Amino acid sequence: MIKITDMRKKAPYMWEIEKSFRNDMNVPARIFATREMLDDVLKDRSVEQLVNVATLRGIQSAAIVMPDVHEGYGFPIGGVAATLWPSGVISPGGIGYDINCGVRLVKSQLELSDVKSRIKLLGAALYTSIPSGVGKGGDILLSESKLDEVLRYGARKMVQKDYGFEADIEHTESHGCLDNADPDMVSSHAKKRGEDQLGTMGAGNHFVEVDVVEEIYDEECAKAYGLFENQVTVLIHTGSRGLGHQVATDYIKIMMGKMRDYGIVVPDRELACAPFDSPEGQNYFGAMAAAANFAWANRQAIMHSVRLAWRDIFGGRLEDLELLYDVAHNIAKIETHMIDGQPKKVIVHRKGATRAFGPGNPEVPQNYRAVGQPVIIPGSMGTASFVLAGANRSMELSFGSSCHGAGRQMSRSEAKRRVDATSIISELERRGIHIQAGSLKGVAEEAPQAYKDVESVVDVVHQAGIAKKVAKLRPLMVIKG
Amino acid sequence: MRKYSYLEHICDIRLKVEADSMDEFFKAALDGMNSIIAGGDVEGSPEDSVMKICVESMDYTCLLIDFLSEVLLLTQSHYSIFSRIDIESLTSSRIEAVLHGTFVEGFDEDIKAVTYHEAEVTKNEQGNYESVIVFDI
Repeated sequence: MIKITDMRKKAPYMWEIEKSFRNDMNVPARIFATREMLDDVLKDRSVEQLVNVATLRGIQSAAIVMPDVHEGYGFPIGGVAATLWPSGVISPGGIGYDINCGVRLVKSQLELSDVKSRIKLLGAALYTSIPSGVGKGGDILLSESKLDEVLRYGARKMVQKDYGFEADIEHTESHGCLDNADPDMVSSHAKKRGEDQLGTMGAGNHFVEVDVVEEIYDEECAKAYGLFENQVTVLIHTGSRGLGHQVATDYIKIMMGKMRDYGIVVPDRELACAPFDSPEGQNYFGAMAAAANFAWANRQAIMHSVRLAWRDIFGGRLEDLELLYDVAHNIAKIETHMIDGQPKKVIVHRKGATRAFGPGNPEVPQNYRAVGQPVIIPGSMGTASFVLAGANRSMELSFGSSCHGAGRQMSRSEAKRRVDATSIISELERRGIHIQAGSLKGVAEEAPQAYKDVESVVDVVHQAGIAKKVAKLRPLMVIKG
Repeated sequence: MRKYSYLEHICDIRLKVEADSMDEFFKAALDGMNSIIAGGDVEGSPEDSVMKICVESMDYTCLLIDFLSEVLLLTQSHYSIFSRIDIESLTSSRIEAVLHGTFVEGFDEDIKAVTYHEAEVTKNEQGNYESVIVFDI
């Protein structure tokens, strides 16, 4: 049982459990939170899971969690772990089952007054055109060879097939394509699960949301990102669907069977891992990249459906809806970071954490480079979402990473017991937020009270210097499966 | 005797499964998973689709999770809920069985994966097999 007294405050909003806390830890465990948040964090097993992550072979500096942390399986959600390239481990559990789950923010040039009278028409059109819900397939049915092209080239392939524009690629993390993707490392089972899922949202916490920019905190960054008050935007949250889930399932099993050969012992089976430079590590990295590319292609296809629906309702051209940015929050990347004063290549695992590179970083799109990478933090259904700008202090504190959302504080079953979905829908409607959902159960599970206060979470990363607040988005319409 | 019950979990679904024999234990785990997928009892004839499966793994715990993962894959790929199972052979490292399923148009819950987290097949004080299973939702 980990207690508050086991933690030391190392900097404002930053707490650590020393490496000496447990003799199998290789690095300290680091938590970004306010003192008040820590009491809640300690109510579940997320810190215990973080300590387990600190035992991984080759882990560098610290095992880290963001203020939206909650208990996961193996790794906590909101976690960041960097292992030394090439001999440190790669762990599928450190990326999660929904590989490259992420968010994409699309901006229009219209203001709230331009769309208000037709917002429900737009919602109906989006709900009809974007397949959502449990086990729902879409209209894009891919042959195996076409699916392999999507797995290899990601969002680029979709743009090539007229599902978007070159500017979309420029404004997607890693240009929407990880070069090391290897479709041959993705099992036929995984491909089967993904064959009809391109362009589909899925269920759970995934959504498409129409928002209005309610407040600008940083004029310089907002100008660079093309954001202004009262502007209407669209936020898309989904991932690699069944294909990614199956890739993770396949490789956790493979790695569990091989860990003994590499002399690896982990305190939780879901931390199954293999040395990055082993055949299993390399095969997983190629498969994970392919699934990540599928996710970027998926969000690109959904954005295309949004553009078509938008044009039908408001007229204009497809390209009038511009991609502000697309970020992954479940992924592993090879990056170079300063560790003990030396630049080192590391395998950065982000599980429920967003990359947040600061100004000047060559990975940031040219037109945002002076202010830093956009960091998009969705709130819960009916609460605000935020746009932040990555700051260079994130490189010192968190391997260039920020939080990814509000973070759950109530279980799904408790939410279903305590929340009446019909009342929530009516209450949100009164506040000007229209919900278009396929399932009342899903609405109850995703009710705002099931999540932490996203503003407090965002304030921690802002105050810690990881990323700075740029704009607040208020939801107008939420489309869920 | 076989049974399952729901336990609390902050974001996913946690089941406790218990049975007085290993065959019944695997059936209880399948019943539990199906109750999540279907949102209750499965209606209709379980003879719409019949599939034979063979899963191998390291021990009973891993075999249980790998078995459920395999059935989940078949469920999601074929839109079929397998509510009846005839186990032909079961050892600590291998299960062979015939699944009987009902075609459905959709599911009540989208299980992303069956996780190994917290899974541990043990015998309790009553001499029954039991384990917790966490499903990623």
